[in-house]
Amino acid sequence: MPVVLTVDPRSGVPIYLQVIDQVKRSVALGVLVAGEQLPTVKQLALDLTINPNTVAKAYRELERDGVIETAAGRGSFVRGNGVAETTKAAATDVARDAFEGAVREAKSIGLSAEEIRKLASAAIDRWFREDA
Amino acid sequence: MSTISIKNLRKTYGPYVAVDDLSFEIPEACVFGLLGPNGAGKTTTFKCMLDLARATSGSVLYDGAPLVPETFERIAYVPERSVLYEWMTVAEHVEMQRRAYRGFSVPRAHELLAQFGIDLRKKARALSKGMRTATMVALAIARESDILIFDEPTSGLDPINQRHVLNLIINESARGATVIFSSHQIGQVERAAERIAVIDRGRLALEGAVDDLKADRKIVEAILPSENFALNGLVGDPRILRLDRTGRIVRALTLHDASDVLAKFEALGASGLRIVDLNLEDIFLYAVSPADATADVVEGR
Repeated sequence: MPVVLTVDPRSGVPIYLQVIDQVKRSVALGVLVAGEQLPTVKQLALDLTINPNTVAKAYRELERDGVIETAAGRGSFVRGNGVAETTKAAATDVARDAFEGAVREAKSIGLSAEEIRKLASAAIDRWFREDA
Repeated sequence: MSTISIKNLRKTYGPYVAVDDLSFEIPEACVFGLLGPNGAGKTTTFKCMLDLARATSGSVLYDGAPLVPETFERIAYVPERSVLYEWMTVAEHVEMQRRAYRGFSVPRAHELLAQFGIDLRKKARALSKGMRTATMVALAIARESDILIFDEPTSGLDPINQRHVLNLIINESARGATVIFSSHQIGQVERAAERIAVIDRGRLALEGAVDDLKADRKIVEAILPSENFALNGLVGDPRILRLDRTGRIVRALTLHDASDVLAKFEALGASGLRIVDLNLEDIFLYAVSPADATADVVEGR
């Protein structure tokens, strides 16, 4: 399956962080599976029209986080070993960022910790209703 | 391959100072974007890098050595204005380049010109402004140089061909070439460049990796309890690069520690706290807007 990554260079979020986030998200969602090959640095840079060193930096960090591994001369692949763990960790990363953003926003517009907690548990109740 | 160091470069034309004490480094295989308002000194900087203008003082070094003819031959330069000969066809320009430069690849030139849809039989005077730019870019890239210096390489081009030029720059960088280019289209620099320098009135206003600049610089926005509210301990805080106040709303441009500054505002009793990301255009505009205007705003409490 071709990897579909998109970045918004005009956003204030560094591009390499956007690439990292998208790869993690794809792993978390199972769009990228264990052993799957990622585009080469040059290919992804050309596909997205972004700097190759920026892509290389994102790949280095993904490797350090254990999401991908790079075999010299063969390219970068989604880690095969412990992919369940990687997937879980990637999903947690993505969810934590979204959650932190929402809490910061709620706090900045003047909601108390108690009010935010109520909102969070109401949201959890709504989305997990079918489990009850 | 080359690292380019610009050291204390100064260029004057009579009483006019075009470039003043400019210093920055362009690492090997880097795509480097040079930004600045009109007349900031970008073209003069390029000319000094190529010895097309003699620096009044300071130096430009390639891997630590001054420019010599052998290095000059490894640099492909696309100037801002067309240098095509009006009466010559595109094919004749290709032939002229082949004779002039050892590494010039005719098949590559033909391939690149075809990608831009340029007819080899056309005379330069029949080409639109955009197609002149595209022709010069194609001829420069076909030289397969180590160093490319492009002054506004997308001017006059439609969005599709602008994107194509960016991808050509990216491709050159991926094969190890060092590319330095200027553009007024900040969005293009934001995509293709790894590092940038902003020049304003001949002086370096800002320099760094695009992603680092974005990660380090944030706006902390807060609403103060009253218009005359004293910002104790915040004016003069080294983490705050500038502070703008409009009524009860205060916006602080922070370096490195946005959350700490936000906590400080919170401790003072401010509300509506928000950390806002800045894109390269915002960062550019902050870098070139006059600092004394900021001082007025800070003083005007």
